[in-house]
Amino acid sequence: MNALLQHLPVLPIVIPLLAGAAMLLFSESKRTIRVTLAVASMTAQLATALTLLYLTSDFAPDVWTEGIGVYAIGNWPAPFGILLVVDRLSALMLTLGAAVSLTTIVYSIARWDRPGQPFHSLLQFLAMGLNGAFLTGDLFNLFVFFEVLLAASYGLVLRGLGTTRVREGLHYITVNLVASFLFLIGVAIIYGIVGTLNMADLARRFPGLDPADRSLFDAGAAILGIAFLVKAAAWPLNFWLPAAYSAAAAPVAAAFTMLTKLGVYAALRVGTLMSEDQAAASMLGSTLFYVGLATLLAGTVGMLAAQHLPRLVSHTVIVSTGILLAALGLGMEALTAPVLFYLITSVLTTATFFMLTGMTERTRVMATVATPSPPPEPPTPFYVAFGVREPDPYSTDDEVGIAIPRAVAFLGLAFVCCVLLVTGLPPLPGFVAKFAMLATALAEAPHAGAVWSFTAAVLVTGFVGLAALTRVGIRLFWTVTARATPRLRVVEAAPVAILVLAALWLGAEAGPVMEYLETAAQSLHDPQSYIRAVLTPHLGPLHEGP
Amino acid sequence: MQLELIVLLPFLGSLCAAFFPSNARNAEAWLSGIVAAVCAVLVASLYGDVAGGGVVRTRIDWLPQLGVDFYLRMDGYAWLFAMLVTFVGTLVVIYSRYYMSPSDPVPRFFAFLMAFMGAMLGMVLSGNLIQLVVFWELTSLTSFMLIAYWYHRPDARRGARMAAIVTVAGGLCLLAGVLMLGQMVGSYDLDDVLQAGDAIRAHPWYAPMLVLVLLGAFTKSAQFPFHFWLPQAMAAPTPVSAYLHSATMVKAGVFLLARLWPALASTELWFWLVCGAGAASLLVGAFSATFQRDMKGVLAYSTMSHLGLITMLCGMGTELGLIAAVFHMMNHATFKASLFMATGVVDHETGTRDLKRLNGLRHAMPLTAAVAIVAAGAMAGVPLLNGFLSKEMFLEESIVAGGVSGLRFTFPALATLGSLFSVAYSLRFIHEVFFGPSTVHELPRQPHDPARMLVPSALLVGACLLVGTLPARTVGPLLETAAIAILGPVLPEYRLAVWHGFTAPLLMSLAATTGGVALYVYLYRRRMTLIRTPFLSRFDSKRMFDVANVAATRGASRLGRVLFSRRLQTQLLLIVGFAIGAGYLPLLAGGYSPGAAPLTPLDPLFALLWIGGVACAIGAAHQAKFHRLAALIMIGGAGLVTVLTFAWFSAPDLALTQIAVEVVTTVLFLLGLRWLPRRLQLDDPRRRTVRARARRTRDAVFAAAAGIGAGLLTFAVLTRPGSSTLAEFFLESSLPEGDGRNVVNVILVDFRGFDTLGEITVVGIVAITVYALLRRFRPAPDSIDVPRAQREDAARAALQEHTADALPRDYMRLPAVLVRLLFPMAWLVSLYLLLRGHNAPGGGFVGGLVMATAIIVQYMVSGTIWIESRLRVHPQVLIALGLLAAGLTGVAAWLARQPLLTSLTLDLHLPVVGDVHLSTVLLFDLGVYLLVIGGTVLMLIALAHQSLRSPRRVHAPEHAPEPRHEAEGAAG
Amino acid sequence: MELVYSIAIGVLVGSGVWLLLRPRTFQVLMGLVLLSYATNLFIFGMGRLSMHVPPIIDEAAPDPARYADPVPQALVLTAIVIGFATTALYLVMLLALRGLTGTDHVDGREPDR
Repeated sequence: MNALLQHLPVLPIVIPLLAGAAMLLFSESKRTIRVTLAVASMTAQLATALTLLYLTSDFAPDVWTEGIGVYAIGNWPAPFGILLVVDRLSALMLTLGAAVSLTTIVYSIARWDRPGQPFHSLLQFLAMGLNGAFLTGDLFNLFVFFEVLLAASYGLVLRGLGTTRVREGLHYITVNLVASFLFLIGVAIIYGIVGTLNMADLARRFPGLDPADRSLFDAGAAILGIAFLVKAAAWPLNFWLPAAYSAAAAPVAAAFTMLTKLGVYAALRVGTLMSEDQAAASMLGSTLFYVGLATLLAGTVGMLAAQHLPRLVSHTVIVSTGILLAALGLGMEALTAPVLFYLITSVLTTATFFMLTGMTERTRVMATVATPSPPPEPPTPFYVAFGVREPDPYSTDDEVGIAIPRAVAFLGLAFVCCVLLVTGLPPLPGFVAKFAMLATALAEAPHAGAVWSFTAAVLVTGFVGLAALTRVGIRLFWTVTARATPRLRVVEAAPVAILVLAALWLGAEAGPVMEYLETAAQSLHDPQSYIRAVLTPHLGPLHEGP
Repeated sequence: MQLELIVLLPFLGSLCAAFFPSNARNAEAWLSGIVAAVCAVLVASLYGDVAGGGVVRTRIDWLPQLGVDFYLRMDGYAWLFAMLVTFVGTLVVIYSRYYMSPSDPVPRFFAFLMAFMGAMLGMVLSGNLIQLVVFWELTSLTSFMLIAYWYHRPDARRGARMAAIVTVAGGLCLLAGVLMLGQMVGSYDLDDVLQAGDAIRAHPWYAPMLVLVLLGAFTKSAQFPFHFWLPQAMAAPTPVSAYLHSATMVKAGVFLLARLWPALASTELWFWLVCGAGAASLLVGAFSATFQRDMKGVLAYSTMSHLGLITMLCGMGTELGLIAAVFHMMNHATFKASLFMATGVVDHETGTRDLKRLNGLRHAMPLTAAVAIVAAGAMAGVPLLNGFLSKEMFLEESIVAGGVSGLRFTFPALATLGSLFSVAYSLRFIHEVFFGPSTVHELPRQPHDPARMLVPSALLVGACLLVGTLPARTVGPLLETAAIAILGPVLPEYRLAVWHGFTAPLLMSLAATTGGVALYVYLYRRRMTLIRTPFLSRFDSKRMFDVANVAATRGASRLGRVLFSRRLQTQLLLIVGFAIGAGYLPLLAGGYSPGAAPLTPLDPLFALLWIGGVACAIGAAHQAKFHRLAALIMIGGAGLVTVLTFAWFSAPDLALTQIAVEVVTTVLFLLGLRWLPRRLQLDDPRRRTVRARARRTRDAVFAAAAGIGAGLLTFAVLTRPGSSTLAEFFLESSLPEGDGRNVVNVILVDFRGFDTLGEITVVGIVAITVYALLRRFRPAPDSIDVPRAQREDAARAALQEHTADALPRDYMRLPAVLVRLLFPMAWLVSLYLLLRGHNAPGGGFVGGLVMATAIIVQYMVSGTIWIESRLRVHPQVLIALGLLAAGLTGVAAWLARQPLLTSLTLDLHLPVVGDVHLSTVLLFDLGVYLLVIGGTVLMLIALAHQSLRSPRRVHAPEHAPEPRHEAEGAAG
Repeated sequence: MELVYSIAIGVLVGSGVWLLLRPRTFQVLMGLVLLSYATNLFIFGMGRLSMHVPPIIDEAAPDPARYADPVPQALVLTAIVIGFATTALYLVMLLALRGLTGTDHVDGREPDR
């Protein structure tokens, strides 16, 4: 295996780190360099992720045993050192994240990455945190990467400032800091009881705990779970989300769509590792289900209540979290593949929708940006000190690229597609995902009340979503007092188109995609393979000494 | 292959149509016309295969895991419907060419029209129920777009949304029903479902499933009580009404009823539900149609009533009834479409559809009149027209079914009443528009017969006549094919003929006709033809819909405010509460017990220490609101105690780091405090309200619970024997493999260096974020002016101007000099800490903090200007370099084909210095060092600069309220 | 010792949570600081308490029993650093909010009651 291939699993963390750091070296005037760096790095990440997707799949069985790759940082063996673990699920999440981030970056080139904020660096660090969280096999290291992506998200959510953003940003930050404390406490207890931080090692050890210790361990795990639920935006721990996401700039919100899914990912990962212990698994399952259902319903109400598109879309994010949690809570192995399919579509969709929001609601966005800026003052020592030019409060977005014809037609079409995708109406893959979930659940347990309530909730939320979205959409596109049609740039239209097309492709290729997801689900539901892969020393050429 | 083509062509056509220039009326019409015609030909060409019960199938694998394939299936019944869709479609396209005005943006129109045709064909040809639902919803979507074609008109927007909401909701019910059906049968394939009729009817889920499916069908076919969207949908361009809302889309519901008839029909429940809805729609529709002012309104309600008639026929559960139903679907499509077209012609020519204004048009537009009269005759069921035949069958069946169901008289009576009204409104429709005194000169436009525009409608009328006169020759075989497809090879005895002799049905229809005429004459004499619908107009389901709509939104936003509180405190309270619950529940469930390990003997000094610490913490909690400085000091105290605790329990590194952090944080706070509003403790009445007290008690309870929980957990763990499985490894391999004596530091930079990498990234990110924030910082209006303390100093100084012993002016000079001398020392110390870190307490982080402190002290004593004129720090560069150094050190390991962050060592023998032991670990720590300096300094300087720039600030955000200093903070 | 240590953490958490639920940004900030102390002590405690045995190796073949568990110390160091960064950020946020809205209420507006 050549050197690059050997280090593949760590690239998704190293590339954005170096790129983000390098960007800081260039002064804000050197915009082109930053953009080039950003795009290049993100493309590289996407390529890496795709390669990993291939390597973990059945097409390349000989590379890694059971399709699980392990990378020992610093060449310290598990459970002492920190290990990165690539299985199908993490590869999938990496790909998804890279795709969304790349399109976001391209989109933001049009007008969003003005000087004044280290926008691109932050995006890179965000990607770094995400990838790290998806890859790491160490509980405390997971915390560290959560912090990395949160820190970046703090910076991003404030991008463009303005009263609303700062206020909602403060809420967002406070909530997440508290969640981080919970995270730490949970991890600490688990370490204090089990005495290890490596997830595989934990999964192996905790069933053997004696009852007294076990209750302490459960307490720690539960506190950790709360932290995850906050990050996954489960009701009632998600009041911050609609406010923060709708206040954030469009590309930022688009990039954030992966964040909530990270919480879901954590729940899935930990849940499957805990499935060694039946009681714990069922306990976790029922909790997830009810929390998910509550989230779903609350989100539905929120959609109906929302008056502005960004807020509405934020609520669809909540709804998707609810659906995911509830579906996972049903605890059917057969359901995992459809759930993953839904996860993919919903990420693509919400990201697209947020970008779209940025274009349709432009006038509104501009307004909020403009409010807090008083007329420019004489240059102050502050800027002299840092050798930067004073930000011009009135600097309107410097627009790049060529305008596309039939802007409104494009927006309208994209909007319709997004609506169909979000509400899961035919014929777009949103429907495929929902149908797959419902059909599987019904086939698995046709007489379970939980399944029926889930089915009803999913259908109802789809309908309510449609009602709300048509209302807002009609106001947006069809009212006679329509705002001046925004001029669309190819660079910002293309990402939307690409994402929509990607979603459509998913729908057309539903069969093969579902097959891959099923294999992913299988390996996920065989935690022993994960444990084996991590804890068996001398895996492949990585561990051969110097 | 042909089948795919039939479904695919329209969609391709729609795609092409979308990209035509917006004024290409003819091109669009040609394209769509050809597509529709070709589809029609293709369908027709398949007749040979389906005649006599044959079925044409094509199947493409799509989602085999879930038993859903793209499966097209054409039998006789589907063929008949496909024929209808394509044939009427062709005519409608031709008609629209003349109807649409040149100013209309036609691409959208034709694109969606084609898409609708495709969806409808897909629906009709679906061999798979899920696929059927997919196309079903697609028709709803396209119909939404077509109704809202003139979206600048509010009624179009409202009508479109209403139609979409009702039909989509129905579609979702249908989906749920189909899902159940799939579970009951074990397959979504139409073939299997149709086979499993008895099993389905016996299944316990039958009733709920049936209700759901029927909801879908009734909403789509505008059956009572879901009919209200249809009249609203008349805001659409007339071709759309002719095509979607009379001929095809609204037929989808009844199509489904007949399609699933073998599987679901002929049970009590089916009979009552379907016949009930059908009868209600028949009567309500017919009755309301009699009193509409808008021509299209009349047609809309009559459509509803005719669909009700078809539904009734399906519901009766007799095979003849079903055949009649299929027959009437076709007939209704032909005459209603032609009537709509005629209406469109009138509208197009006169500029109005108001029955009040239209009169005696037969002089101006004889041809139109002729066409309309014949079509209306068919609608009324006049002999020798196709409507008559199916009406006769209907009446006959009503007698049969009535006999079966025990409603011997009610049923026929209802049927007769329905047809009576249909005679009445048909008569009225014709008479109001074409007869009576001519009012042509008062109309917006002067009408003439548009010959070409009449062709499609005329063709349809021709069909009516043909079928009406020679049914057996013309429609007979087709009808038989369709019937066989549904009922199987053996059909009941029935005769398609104009004359059956003097039968009960004939008498009934005679009664209906005479009664209808009489009714209209009566209404006309009493000038009651233009009143609002009696009785029913009070139940305006349109307004109810709007009210419900608004109520839903209002209620939701009210509920939403509760479900998603905008207040941070509520959110935090919830999170804390859930965390407490999560902590306690397992302990309650699993039991709580402290461990058995021996306690370390209590050292009174330590106890004393923490008594102080506790006092500080509580004091801070109490003072934080009104005496910030005091609170800050006490927090510092608590921090100090923490530091000492670390030192006490053999963690020198922690102690060192924590103290350094303490210093820097305090400086930050001091720099920041100045910008907060002054708050004087006054006796605020609001603090003593019951509410405020209750809130504080609640919070106190939560705080106590959290504290006790944390304490319990800590104690439980502390009293257990050590469990670490990692410590041993680290302690043993630290010196030999990590060649460092200070294990903590070795863990940080080597064993778990990855954590450190992430951690310094966090510091860097935060620093640049802070910087970005402060660039746009605007101080609040009331904290702009120079702080009070300084003002007082200045005053004192001014006062002492002329006193003998003036204090020395710049009293900061001496410390400044000292600090400047100390600066290099600090530098050395920090480097020393960095270098020794690997073997003794210290390390890059502490070193960096010390350096940063030194720099910021310089700023404090010598002033920003002085510093920056001499020493220019570039924090951002430092951050970047730090990150790059750390990261690249990690990558360097790759050169040795080692994983990231593997430590490489290198022993040099230098002449003078002697043996030098170099390790990449040191470089890594150097990166940490640089980054910490950069990050900390960036934050400190950025904050410090605010005091420099602020006094010049006078602008504040206009909307910022002047904060109330005294008596602030009820919530406190 | 363990008892005092636990009580100390309990009090820190308690007062931290109390401040966290207060309506003024500065109070919340102080609460976060207290909580970070508590968390650090908590993590540290997970390595159990032991005196005069700093994990600094002084012989070739160390006897693990003679040294404190270094892992929690390393974790706490990371936690301290991150806590420091976030505290600083929070302070600046609070100033910015104060500057933009003119109030120091966490919701950016005075409670209208």
